Amino acid sequence: MDVRTLFSPSRMSFDLQGQTKESILDELIELLYNDGKLTDKERFKKAVLKREEEFSTGIGMGIAIPHGKDSSVTEPCVTFGLSKKGVDFASMDNQPAYLFFLISVPESADNTHLDLLSFISRKLIHEEVRNKLLNAKSYEDVVSAFEEK
Amino acid sequence: MAKIVAVTSCPTGIAHTYMAAEALEMAAKEMRVDIKVETQGSVGVRNEITVEDLRQAQAVILACDTKVSEDRFKGLPIVRASVKDAISNPKSLISEALNMVKLESEKPEKTERKDYVDQVFEAKKQKSSNLTGAYKHLMTGVSYMIPFVVAGGLLIAISFAFGINAFKEEGSFAAALMDIGSGNAFFLMVPILAGFIAFSIADRPGLVPGMVGGLLANKLGAGFLGGILAGFAAGYLVAWLKKVIKLPKTMEGLMPVLILPVISTFIIGLGMIYVVGKPVAAINTAISQWLTGMSDSSALVLGIVLGLMMSFDMGGPINKAAYTFAVSTLATGQPSMVMAAVMAAGMTPPLGLALATFMAKDKFTPDEREAGKAAIFLGMSFITEGAIPFAAADPFRVIPSIMVGSAVTSALSMLFKCTLAVPHGGIFVLPIPNAVGNLLLYLISIVAGTIVTAFMVSALKTKKEVVAVAQ
Repeated sequence: MDVRTLFSPSRMSFDLQGQTKESILDELIELLYNDGKLTDKERFKKAVLKREEEFSTGIGMGIAIPHGKDSSVTEPCVTFGLSKKGVDFASMDNQPAYLFFLISVPESADNTHLDLLSFISRKLIHEEVRNKLLNAKSYEDVVSAFEEK
Repeated sequence: MAKIVAVTSCPTGIAHTYMAAEALEMAAKEMRVDIKVETQGSVGVRNEITVEDLRQAQAVILACDTKVSEDRFKGLPIVRASVKDAISNPKSLISEALNMVKLESEKPEKTERKDYVDQVFEAKKQKSSNLTGAYKHLMTGVSYMIPFVVAGGLLIAISFAFGINAFKEEGSFAAALMDIGSGNAFFLMVPILAGFIAFSIADRPGLVPGMVGGLLANKLGAGFLGGILAGFAAGYLVAWLKKVIKLPKTMEGLMPVLILPVISTFIIGLGMIYVVGKPVAAINTAISQWLTGMSDSSALVLGIVLGLMMSFDMGGPINKAAYTFAVSTLATGQPSMVMAAVMAAGMTPPLGLALATFMAKDKFTPDEREAGKAAIFLGMSFITEGAIPFAAADPFRVIPSIMVGSAVTSALSMLFKCTLAVPHGGIFVLPIPNAVGNLLLYLISIVAGTIVTAFMVSALKTKKEVVAVAQ
């Protein structure tokens, strides 16, 4: 499995400025859009917010994984963002979130990508992976956090 | 060590399903509990709970925010929770499950579970059998095509009911029905088949090249087999173009509406005309010449050959050649044995398949069973197209079966020296005086081929569920 295919240096920010859930989402969606993986920002944001309504994707432990499945997405990928101050994401543990993984999936995605995404989600449960990510400063740092056993 | 099985599932099935699974697995490892977590996400079921797992399992954890069938867990204690709970507090879910195991073991009588487990598991397998790959795309195309075949075919049949030549009178009601059924509904059949095969593969951008390719297959006389080819080619072409064409961000929006449809339709269209069209035309000419040359050989051989041809590609070049040849034998104004054989051979495919849907219900999809009822009328009306949905869905089993049935019918009809004086009409011509020579034996030929096809299809086809699981 190569998680590299899901990430890209141009879809990463190590200093997100947003103070609220919504502004963080806007920043991440902007990155995604500028990288050409999205045809319609508003549409996709709606899909993501709709998913948030079910229950927050702030899973606690400083991590949030907002995600949306929509036809405005051109290929399955992950946009990564790090907020130094932390943002209230209505997380399960009521703690601020620092690490954001915006997962975007088109209406019909092939299984290879979906399996990769599930692999990333699983990795985030592990504490040592999270610690590495919190200290990540570059694309390499992020990707290698997932690649190590 | 206690054994627990768990299922995780969340609405989008992209992230939480797997986080919950990982959290449960980690907690179980720490607590020294044997756990198997099945994930039901957008990729489908992964790490599926087997019958063996169910036999050993002592408790179930369902960390699901979607509806998950609980049938197979009947008799086991179940802990129900949300995926959230499983991510934030997996240990307490496992403790709860272990507690239930303890309570269960203190109960006096054990429920008879084992046989039941097997039963529900079998039933479940049938339900969840996912269609995959090319087969799924083909089925999508076929399911959209069936209503066109049924609607068009029945309208044509009604037109025949006014008299087999009634539609030839311009402006008449029968002519209108024939136009709607044959000129339009049937006209759309192959384009819809090809279009939705491509749609299934490549989404909306696949529809245009698929339908246009299907339409060209029609016009070029390549029939439904040509349509299937066009549909797959169009779908995979668009999927491939999506991958290789990289545009600057500002122009990305043009992909689905302009770039993909134009390029793919251009390629598929030219491909159909130059690569598929030419050989098809050549085949047409070659076969007609060959058949004319065969006119003098034995009636039996000619009957078998015509029968095989009639149902090989229903409406494609081979079928057309056989039919045109038969019609040409009528030109002399005499009732023709060849015409009789060809019409009979064209009636048995839908009839045989219709009979098969009643004989072996579990080998056909619900859609196909409905189409089977309509196929009775289509077959009786000599509308061979009624068999196309079945043939398109499972060509390697269905086409040989209908070919053999048609060959039997056609050969018998020749041997019995049955004759026919009109080029079409199915059973509607039978009551017309002098239209058919040797009426009783003619009917026997048709029934014989119908039965042969029905038995052969039933024998060749595997049960729907087994086919899907095997893939």
